[in-house]
Amino acid sequence: MRFSFKLLLWTLVVMAIAFGLGGAYFVNYVFETSMARETGQALEESSILRFAFETAALNAPAKYDVLPDRTIGQIAYNLAGGDGGRMLRILDEQGAVIYGSEGAEGDGRLVEQTDEEHNAYQVVRREERYLIQACMQVDVLDRTLYLETMRDVSEVFKERALGFTVYRRMTVVMLILGTFIMHGISSWLTRPIRLLTRATKRMAQGEYGYRARKVSSDELGQLTQDFNQMANALEENIGKLEEELRAREDFVGAFAHELKTPLTAIIGYADMLRSRRLDEEKSFLSANYIYTEGKRLEAMSFRLLEIIVTKRSQIQPRMIEAAYLFQYLQDMYANDRTMTFLFQCGDGKVWADPDLIRSVLMNLIDNACKASEPGGAVWISGQRLEGGYRFFVEDQGIGIPREEQDKITKAFYMVDKSRSRSRNGAGLGLALCAEILALHDSRLEIQSEVGQGTRMSFWLPDPKKDGL
Amino acid sequence: MIRILIVDDEKPICDLIDLNLSAAGYHCTSVQDGIAALDLIEEKTFDLILLDVMLPGVDGYDIMEYIRPLKIPVIFITARYEVRDRVKGLRLGADDYLVKPFDVVELVARVEAVLRRYHKADNTLSALDVVVDVDGRQVMKNGVPVVLTNKEFGLLVLFIRNKNVALFRETLYEQVWGGEYTGDSRTLDLHVQRLRKKLGWEHCLAAVYKVGYRLEVPG
Repeated sequence: MRFSFKLLLWTLVVMAIAFGLGGAYFVNYVFETSMARETGQALEESSILRFAFETAALNAPAKYDVLPDRTIGQIAYNLAGGDGGRMLRILDEQGAVIYGSEGAEGDGRLVEQTDEEHNAYQVVRREERYLIQACMQVDVLDRTLYLETMRDVSEVFKERALGFTVYRRMTVVMLILGTFIMHGISSWLTRPIRLLTRATKRMAQGEYGYRARKVSSDELGQLTQDFNQMANALEENIGKLEEELRAREDFVGAFAHELKTPLTAIIGYADMLRSRRLDEEKSFLSANYIYTEGKRLEAMSFRLLEIIVTKRSQIQPRMIEAAYLFQYLQDMYANDRTMTFLFQCGDGKVWADPDLIRSVLMNLIDNACKASEPGGAVWISGQRLEGGYRFFVEDQGIGIPREEQDKITKAFYMVDKSRSRSRNGAGLGLALCAEILALHDSRLEIQSEVGQGTRMSFWLPDPKKDGL
Repeated sequence: MIRILIVDDEKPICDLIDLNLSAAGYHCTSVQDGIAALDLIEEKTFDLILLDVMLPGVDGYDIMEYIRPLKIPVIFITARYEVRDRVKGLRLGADDYLVKPFDVVELVARVEAVLRRYHKADNTLSALDVVVDVDGRQVMKNGVPVVLTNKEFGLLVLFIRNKNVALFRETLYEQVWGGEYTGDSRTLDLHVQRLRKKLGWEHCLAAVYKVGYRLEVPG
């Protein structure tokens, strides 16, 4: 059942009970007040009648100081105002009726309850009429008589019945009106819930950008706000995951491609060698291709292994002289006569893992060589600055197009495939550099113009003082 | 002479395909980047194009779009093996799709199949004194018909298409019987025996030790 419907239903139940009980109590209260008033009047009337009776009895001529029944009946008849007047009865000591005006009937129970001090009364129902029957003791001369009066109170009962009817109608009208009003109110109150529900459904269907509208500032509004915050966080995470997944897919695809190409050549040439009689030139060509492609696979697998190991490893940086790094590189490239290497070392210390940073520099130098014409120049320089050390590797080679610049650190990405393949590149060098620099809280910065050359640089910050 | 254009950014692979298809009697031209390929297609006419997808310059799918109106049959040769890539290639109008790494025998067979579909291939093969009509499934030795079973016929076509090539048992089995070679070569040996006998090729259909068989044709 819908929440707003439940709210409506329960409100109606409470309203119905409240109206019912309240109405019954009110009508009964009015009735009881009226009854008390009527009873009071009935008793008062009785008292007056008793007094009148007593006066009349005293004035009546009596022979033996005994009031005869006939005289009593006469007085009573007068008191009643003749036929069709008051309804009253006079009963004697034994409860026998001495006089009863028309319509005045009753049992002897009231007489039993009456004595000198107590008056008794009761409400009797006669057909459609309600009457108050009041009874009093009258002592005249030597006789003890009972005076019973009847007073018609049908009006009070009728009023009560009418009160109930009116109240019932009013309750029904109020409930119908209440239904409409409460329906509106409960719909309005539960609107944030409906909006939230819609938002969850939309999101479950994959519409992660959908947000619930906040329509109130109460707890539900707070809930909506929290929900939207949660959705934002979720959307961000999903985006990140998707990004990661795409990157992984790209990597696997590129890896498969890079693996398959040399494999195809190796398998194909080996198959030719084993199944054909090839002349010497062709068999040399085949064997050579198998060798070079095998080498390519080897280089690629080592690089990949290096990246994986680097990703998982903890670096052990220490303060080293920059000159030490440069000396190593100078020795390394001293025998390379195809290119000109220019080293310019800025004095100072570097906070780094020397093996890894050497690997980064060597990769950058190799890339610079690959991008340059034979005999070109490569500048390797370093500069000590406030808070860290900056390395530069520059060439005057072919350069990197602007739109490719942020992709080149992705694994297997090659700006010019045929060119870098012919120089045994697998597209992994810069990916490795990026990993290593990430471990050093740094990143590769690229400035390049197509046809002008490339300047790669990275910044190695000094360790934070508080961290040591 | 059937002219085939090979477009692949890897020189080793171009050479591999070139060598094998040339040996099978085709005239091959190879090119390593997309733009050069488009220039060549415009300049010369080709009967078949073998196309890689990942190319420097223009990508293989774009080249395909350009080739389509020319009605030149195309076989994609690529490392991309996902179904959607293959479907994309075939949707664009490629006639076949070969995933790297491939077997050379398979490449030659597919090239022939596509050419046959375009009625460009010569459907009569011949070796020594035997002439085979591939479509009519007829074999004539010195003008006399020879009755062969299905498998024997398959073996014969394979041998004639790969003259002087040592065909491995695995290859023969996979190409003729289909399915994985299980190592039991007796069926194969038996069929080759029968083929030799029916054609009188006891000497030229030579067994190659530990490998398989080779059809030896002088010249």
